[in-house]
Amino acid sequence: MNMHAAKDKRASARHGREAVLASALVLLALMFVVTAFVSRLYKKRVHELGDRWFANGDSALHSGHPTAALADYRNGLAYVPGNEVFQFHLAQALAAAGHADEAEGYLLNLLSASPGNGEINLALARVAVQKKSEPDALRYYHAAIYGGWDEDPIAQRWRARRELCEYLLGRGAPSQAESEIIALADNTPGNDVSQLNAAGNLLLDVSLWSRALGEFKSALAVDRHDPEALTGAGTAEFRLARYSEAAAFFERLPENRRSSETVSEMLATARAAESIDPFLPGLSAAEKSARVDRALADSEALLSNCTQGASRSPGAQQPNPDSLAAVRKAISDRKRAPVERKMGRLDSDMAAVYQAEIAARSACGSPKSPTARALLLIGDARAGGSQ
Amino acid sequence: MSRPDLANPPAPDALPGIESGSVLSRMGAVYHGWMRRLVSPRGDQFFLVLAVVIGVFSGLAVVCFRIAIEWTRLVLLGSSLTPSPLRVLLVPALCGIPIALLVIHAFPRARGSGVNQTKTAVYISNGYVPFDTVIGKFITCALAIGSGQSLGPEDPSLQMGAGIASILGRRLKLSQERLRLIAPVGAAAGLAAAFNAPVSAVLFVIEEVIGTWSAGALGAIVLAAVSSVVTMRWFLGSESLFRVPPSQLNDPAELLAYAVLGVVGGCFALAFLKWIGAARPKIQALPKRTMYLLPAAAGLLIGTAGIWLPQVMGAGYPIIDQALHGEYVWHMLLILAILKIAATGISFLSGAPGGMFAPTLFIGAMLGGAVGGVEHHFFPGLTSTTATFALVGMGTFFAGFLRTPITAVFMVVEVSGNYSMIVPVMISSLIAYLISRRFQKVPLFDLLTRQDGVVLPSIEERRERVRLVVEDAMRAGAAITLDPPESVFEALRRVEADADPNRPLLLRARAGEWRLVDRDELRRLATHESGASVPQTAADLSSKGPLPLIFPDESLEEVLRWASDWPVLPVVSRADPSRLEGVLSLADILHAFRTSAAE
Repeated sequence: MNMHAAKDKRASARHGREAVLASALVLLALMFVVTAFVSRLYKKRVHELGDRWFANGDSALHSGHPTAALADYRNGLAYVPGNEVFQFHLAQALAAAGHADEAEGYLLNLLSASPGNGEINLALARVAVQKKSEPDALRYYHAAIYGGWDEDPIAQRWRARRELCEYLLGRGAPSQAESEIIALADNTPGNDVSQLNAAGNLLLDVSLWSRALGEFKSALAVDRHDPEALTGAGTAEFRLARYSEAAAFFERLPENRRSSETVSEMLATARAAESIDPFLPGLSAAEKSARVDRALADSEALLSNCTQGASRSPGAQQPNPDSLAAVRKAISDRKRAPVERKMGRLDSDMAAVYQAEIAARSACGSPKSPTARALLLIGDARAGGSQ
Repeated sequence: MSRPDLANPPAPDALPGIESGSVLSRMGAVYHGWMRRLVSPRGDQFFLVLAVVIGVFSGLAVVCFRIAIEWTRLVLLGSSLTPSPLRVLLVPALCGIPIALLVIHAFPRARGSGVNQTKTAVYISNGYVPFDTVIGKFITCALAIGSGQSLGPEDPSLQMGAGIASILGRRLKLSQERLRLIAPVGAAAGLAAAFNAPVSAVLFVIEEVIGTWSAGALGAIVLAAVSSVVTMRWFLGSESLFRVPPSQLNDPAELLAYAVLGVVGGCFALAFLKWIGAARPKIQALPKRTMYLLPAAAGLLIGTAGIWLPQVMGAGYPIIDQALHGEYVWHMLLILAILKIAATGISFLSGAPGGMFAPTLFIGAMLGGAVGGVEHHFFPGLTSTTATFALVGMGTFFAGFLRTPITAVFMVVEVSGNYSMIVPVMISSLIAYLISRRFQKVPLFDLLTRQDGVVLPSIEERRERVRLVVEDAMRAGAAITLDPPESVFEALRRVEADADPNRPLLLRARAGEWRLVDRDELRRLATHESGASVPQTAADLSSKGPLPLIFPDESLEEVLRWASDWPVLPVVSRADPSRLEGVLSLADILHAFRTSAAE
């Protein structure tokens, strides 16, 4: 009898426990549904808030207020802390506001999640530039160039390399920049005028005139009136001492571009060189001789003025009197000499002109007249050629 | 009509409407068998299943709790991290009044952090945590933390988990022993979900609440912690609490820099502990009516500070994240650390409900960053960033203030998802812990309960108590050993030649078995009083045994239970149980305990 009662008691306890467990599971299911509903509402609200603060941050950053953008991005991140886009923008705002170390912290965190990401590497490179850390900058720029990009990877890599080239040029490292610029030019698509012009300009910066000319000519093949390509091509031709070709490109420029200081100076110099250079092919002996005479007269006048102090800057030394004497002697010798002898003295007389121009430049600064500039360039070209 | 026999339900094939031997009937049989085993009061399986159910319940509760805190903050303070000064000043102060009313009149058990209340429940009330504590904690903490009081949601989550576990245990009519165990299981679940850190939660509950690595509890605690974290991640995502920039220790010499952080963190933790310990009794001694005003006054003070530095308000997780990204200079970090200590102390002392974990992490991160910044100033060659110092600082201050060094190390790893800085965290935390322990004997939670007039077992004291072992009490060479083949005459000759007439005789019966021999029995057999015609050996002696084997490294407390049954116990080598190391008697054990107490 007692055994039966104990058995009943145990069974009833187990039955009760089953019921409680079943009720608990039902309650759990209900709570799960309620929590799902509440958390969905919460997440929606939180994402709305995050997006709103992010949009505020973006507009502040784009309107040039990085400090205001910082607060907005931080608020945004407080709601969506794991959002990598928000973190990236916050890092950019931090960098723009001058907080390079803090920006680096966020970017390194992002980079650890996606190590090959080109965009993050590029941002890190910019931060390294800001921190004046050249090894890091080079490392991140290269990682950006060879990294992965979500959209338009070829153009993005090209832009990253261009930034690297500009950074190296800005750091005064043209020899380091040269190889990058050549690689950039090689990877420049032949149908994009702005990219061709950018590559050409960088090639001009490292004195690779012929390659630069090639880029500008490619750009002109796409758009023959593009003013930047015309300017670049003219400049390259000018540097290559092909003055008539340079003048031809400059003359195709619209009036407003042609009248800019640099272009108008180069154009005037090119025209002067065309009219005074005795070494241009196809000139008659008489023409050559006349050009030398004009060059001598011009340099004698320039040096005389400079010696008299009319154009000399205060405190500058007197020009070397031997130069003026040499020019005068050449002028007087040429007056007496027949044409054949004048042709034989062409090189030595032009050398005297060059020395006189250099002496004048040392004492009185860079020449202002196109002819004097042209004579210096002709002398430079001859000196370079003879070396 | 007779009652149905619930203990022996009818066989499934006899159930009405179900064809005997059908698939359904077989499934029914399987279900009944499974359910019977599952809900058996002695079944471990049931306890483990219950741990999972507790974990899921706690996870859901913590998700709702975190959402409630955030929503309260959004409604009261707005969505910006830098709310308008008027809100910052008024909201915490005005919310202090309803908080005080709720805590005094509706939910008096919701006061405080929740850790020591859970410990009290485990040790005093057999694991009983009233369910109104869960509701009270939920409402009052959401209001307090959401309105800007400098407190965190982790310790309340721990208590809510314990409360949920307790009510489930009571409803399921668990045994007293299981009920005591179930509260820590729920506590681990609650803490794990709040921190998104199951390992740290398990360690904390073991280090601070139950104090032992009991195998029975460990499985359930781990299961509850894991299931609560999985539930929480289902709703709120699996990201770790903080995103830490990648860092590593490049030069071992830099550990010195972290040691300095350990010293500074230890000193700050000690100062905070001393302040709380000294100020709390004074606050409690104030007239009762002032209790209505204290949370509001605390809110006003915190709001005033928040006008200039709103970072000190609330739990402060986004600010820790910013510090971990090196967004603050060292002097700003130091100001924030000091202000947060003040704000947290004020909030806690005012009786506002809320936890100390999040503020502890905040203070540690700021302090770590500040120390890192100063060290960088003097040693610019340090490769560790300010952010890594902030990360290590969290563990350092946690270990120094809450005195749970193992939890501190693993918590830093878990909340940051970064394992590379574990060595610096270990060194720094240990130093902070040692400094704090050296100058403040009683840890925070024990101090609080003792101030409330309750003396709970101190886990730290228990951990560090000197444990007497058999080796400390045994007497080497104090017995005469006999081997079975030895002639009884030879044995008697040896025994009688011995100077000590009371030395016990132990017979090495066979490998690992020792028996006690009586001297008179030996003498009787050796003098042919037994009447045997053949020469007798020690194996023929009648003896008592086998004696329980004890080993030199065993605890004296464990051995005590056998000592009263036998006049002497053999202490043998673990490597060779037939080799006698010494003997132990009850008198030896008592003597060792007396000597130890006198020392």
